[in-house]
Formats: sequence, C-alpha cells, structure tokens
Amino acid sequence: MEHDDLLYDGVTGLPTLQAAVESMRRVIVERGELLILYFNFSRYSKIEEIYGWEKLDAVLATTAAAMRAYLHDSPLRSSRVMVRFTNDDDFVFFHIPEPGFEAANDEQITEIISGLQKHVSERIEAAHGEDIASLFDIYAGRSHVMVNPKFRLERQIYRGIRQAVVASQSVEARETVRKLEDLRESIRTCGVYVDYHPIVVAETGAVFGYEALARGVMRSMRSPEVMFEVAARGDLLWELSRICRARAIEGIANQFDNGELLFLNVDPGDFADPTFTPEQLNAPDPKRVVIEITERTAIKDYPKFRNRLQAFRDAGFRFAVDDAGSGYAGLGSIANLEPDFIKLDISLINGIDENFIKQNLVETMIRFANDQGAQVIAEGVERAEELAILKELGVHFVQGFFLHPAGVPGHTPEHNPVPVVPPIPATAAQAAGDPGKRVVRSA
Amino acid sequence: MPNTPLPHVLVVDDNHDNANIIRDYLKARGYPITVAYGGEEALEIFERERPSIVLLDVMMPGRDGWEVCREMKLNPDVTRPVRVIMVTALHDWTNKRQAIQTGADDFVEKPFELSKLADTVERNTRMLSPVK
Repeated sequence: MEHDDLLYDGVTGLPTLQAAVESMRRVIVERGELLILYFNFSRYSKIEEIYGWEKLDAVLATTAAAMRAYLHDSPLRSSRVMVRFTNDDDFVFFHIPEPGFEAANDEQITEIISGLQKHVSERIEAAHGEDIASLFDIYAGRSHVMVNPKFRLERQIYRGIRQAVVASQSVEARETVRKLEDLRESIRTCGVYVDYHPIVVAETGAVFGYEALARGVMRSMRSPEVMFEVAARGDLLWELSRICRARAIEGIANQFDNGELLFLNVDPGDFADPTFTPEQLNAPDPKRVVIEITERTAIKDYPKFRNRLQAFRDAGFRFAVDDAGSGYAGLGSIANLEPDFIKLDISLINGIDENFIKQNLVETMIRFANDQGAQVIAEGVERAEELAILKELGVHFVQGFFLHPAGVPGHTPEHNPVPVVPPIPATAAQAAGDPGKRVVRSA
Repeated sequence: MPNTPLPHVLVVDDNHDNANIIRDYLKARGYPITVAYGGEEALEIFERERPSIVLLDVMMPGRDGWEVCREMKLNPDVTRPVRVIMVTALHDWTNKRQAIQTGADDFVEKPFELSKLADTVERNTRMLSPVK
C-alpha cells in the first residue's frame, strides 16, 4: 500500500493512532467502554544520546515486540491494540473488554504494569545488554472511557489519552521525589560501588585498563545514568561525584593486579569543585589514572579549564576525550584538550562494518590522533565484524560487550561491589582530604 | 560476485549530463540502471522499481539529497536492504555526520573518477549479498 507509512510506524510496525481508532471503531461502540494505558519510556532519549538513533530504533522495536507478546498473554484478553503514539518514546495500549468480561481493575493493571516492566527489561537486556536495559523505565497512566454516543468517538479517545498521559506524569513526579530521597540516602551512606569495564589492546586482546562505572547500591540507583540524572536535578552532582571518584580509585590499589590504567569519567563541571584537586584525588600512582572528559558537555571557559587540566597533568594524570565525534564539532575542540587518548563515540562504532561513512570518519580520527600523539579507543564494540574493521582501521584499544561480556568471573574485577562504608560527614570528609570520584556511562 | 545478478541502481542527479555519464558507465559494467533527475522523481522510481543501490546527488533543487535519503531509509514499506551512496562534496566532518544521521551508507566525493565510483558501487553491492 502506498501510504502505509501513514498507518504503520516503520520502526516498531505498530499502527498509528488514526489507523487503530478506525479498525477498533465498531468494537468500541458495541462494547461502550475502552481502557487506555499510556506508557512512557522516560529515559530512551539517553539511548539516542549515547548510542545514536540506530540503536534507539532497535531498542524501540524490541520494546514494542516484547510489550505485544506480554500483553497478548496478559489477563487483558479480548480486543486490544497497541499504537506508537508520538513517534517518540511512548506507546498507547487500548483494551476493549470482551462481552461478558469486566474491564481490568486498578489492581490488575498495577500487576500487569509491574510484570510488563520486568518482561520488557529482560528482553532488552538479552538483545541489547545490561547498560541499555538499565535505562529502561516505564511510567504508565491509565484512563477508562465510557463511550457517549453524543460525542465524536475520536475526541473521547484523545481526551482519554490525555488523561492517561497526565496520570503517568504524576506517577513520574512521585517517582522522581522517591529517587531523590534514595540518592540522598546513597550519598549519606556512601552507597556506591564500581564496575570496571576492561579496555583491551585491539591487536592482542590484553587488558590495558579499566573504565570505572559507578552504580548505586540501592536498586533504584543501579543505573549510573539515572543516578547522575537525579543528582543533577537535586543539585547533588559534586557530592555524588566525590564518592564515585573515591570508590573508583580504591580499585587500583585493591583490584588491579598488573599495572592496568584506571579510566575515570569526570564531568567538566566537576573541575569547578574546589575539592577536586590532584592532591585530593589521592591516587596511589597518578600515571595510572586517565581522566575522561566528555565532548558532549559544553566547556564554557576554555582558558580557565585548561589551567585546571594542567594542574592534573603536572601531577602525572593523563586525559582522554570521551564520546569523541559525537557531535558536529569536529576535531578542533578535541585538539584543544591535547588528550592522551581519544575515545570514539559509540554511535560511530555501532554497525561500522556496514557503513563506509563511519569507517571514513574513524579513519580520519585515527590519523588525527596519530598526528597528535594520542591513542584511539573504540567503545561499544558488540560484534566480531565491528572488531575486525576497527583493527583494520588501526584503532589502538577497544572496549565493549563483545570482548568481555559483563559478569565473566575471574576475568575482570567487576561485579565485586565494594560494601557500603559508614557515612562520612561532608565537612569532615573534606577536611580529611577525602577526594570525590565520579564515574558515568559504560561500554 | 560470479553468478549473482548485479543489483538495480538508481542514479539521481539534477544535472542531466552527470546522471547520463554515470548511467552509461555503470550500464557498461552490467548494472541495471534507472535515472531520476530530481528528488521527487527519485522517490517515485524508488517506490515503483525498488532499486537496491541509490547514487544520490546532494545538491538538488526542491527535495535535496538529504531529504530524499532520509525518506528512502525511513520508509516502513522498504523491508529489503537498500544502500544509499551520497554523491557530494562531503569534505568536512559535519557533512559526514549529517550523512550518517540521514541513514546514508557510503559517499563518493565530487569531483570523482568514474572508476572510483564503480568501486564504491561494487563494495556496496558486496554488502547486499547475504553472506558477507
């Protein structure tokens, strides 16, 4: 059909709202009521930001398939249809109870949503890995439409959807408050542990270093993305970062056996924290610490920023530009930071074996790095074909799921959570020179 | 690629001379070719004739190459693999990022040599075969 794209969403194969309403019209009118569930995946924009649009499309397709499968087997048996709502990160599910059956009640719906969350999250983890699954979070709202023949059906459905959206937003608002409380508790008790993701030499596969990835001990804070997002909202970034950095540094002494490097994510904003100094970072051997600075965050005052970097450089710390090539900025801004390592943005690695433009960009970046005396790290390597091309192009180091699947025992020191330590009052910690440490994101 | 039929190539360029030169060159190498002289026409032919490789000029009046590429790649009706090669002066980083953003698979920098263009079409042909 020529206009299929107006009726069905290309990524998920789900019908659009108009198509769905048309196909359900008769059944809804006969039954006289309709249950609307609105699902919003509030953190899916992060997936696009980190991994690029292709990955988000793939995750949306997995999500839609998993939701369809789950809802198909749920107690909501009877006429049902799910639609892609705004072509963004939300879906709407319509349930028209069968004759003789009651519409699902609140309790059933709550149970279904909780089961759905678990099921979809598992499917996403199986298909796309733990890091992406950790960004999955559903906010659901419901509304019940009793059809009034006096009003146009479409309008009643649109109103019902709006009500469900508002309901989901109030769920999200409640959740946000709860998460902020969890974060405060995590900071108070230093409830953070660190996963170490190996960075290996592309040619030999030998472990060269580890990127530290901080996670909250509390379940709601397990995803670093969520944890730092909540911290930004609660103006607690510095406090959280200090704990994360301290935890990550502990790993060098306790868990790295063979002189591997520690790659530590530091937000440019952390450099404004007066407690973030080379001395207070307290690294046993600064030469083994590589500070990663993301290209994504705008650096406002370059000269001042470079001065701060210099102090760390003088103390022996090295630098990596993270997410290099993520934007349109090109190579100039990278050169400004004079990095020792350049970590390529995941969106350039994802499917690189099939895209010659990505290969060309990575080649350019490697040439540039070689000219600058820097080394290139490719993150997010998920397939053998990607690794093969990256080696061919001359990437120095690689990192990603494919090389060291999470949880391989004995392979890496990850998954050895540092136990929660007794709380340290902020002022005492600062007086004692307690460094903060912050870490985000993953392979 | 012995024994496999060569893929159907759609050449899109508002410059008739350019389009015809590319058409003749690729035709001589055995590719089935269709030519479109504008974005709108390209999309119509794309729907109708279902080419597997599209050589797409970026600078065109009306719907430019970026828009056409995006539409081809996002068309839910297109479940077959399609390789889109942008033919353009993609000299800088920004343009290449934009090309990835629109879903393009490859590019040929203008001005190009015909042999280079043929190599590019050939490597994309290889990507279409099920066993890579």
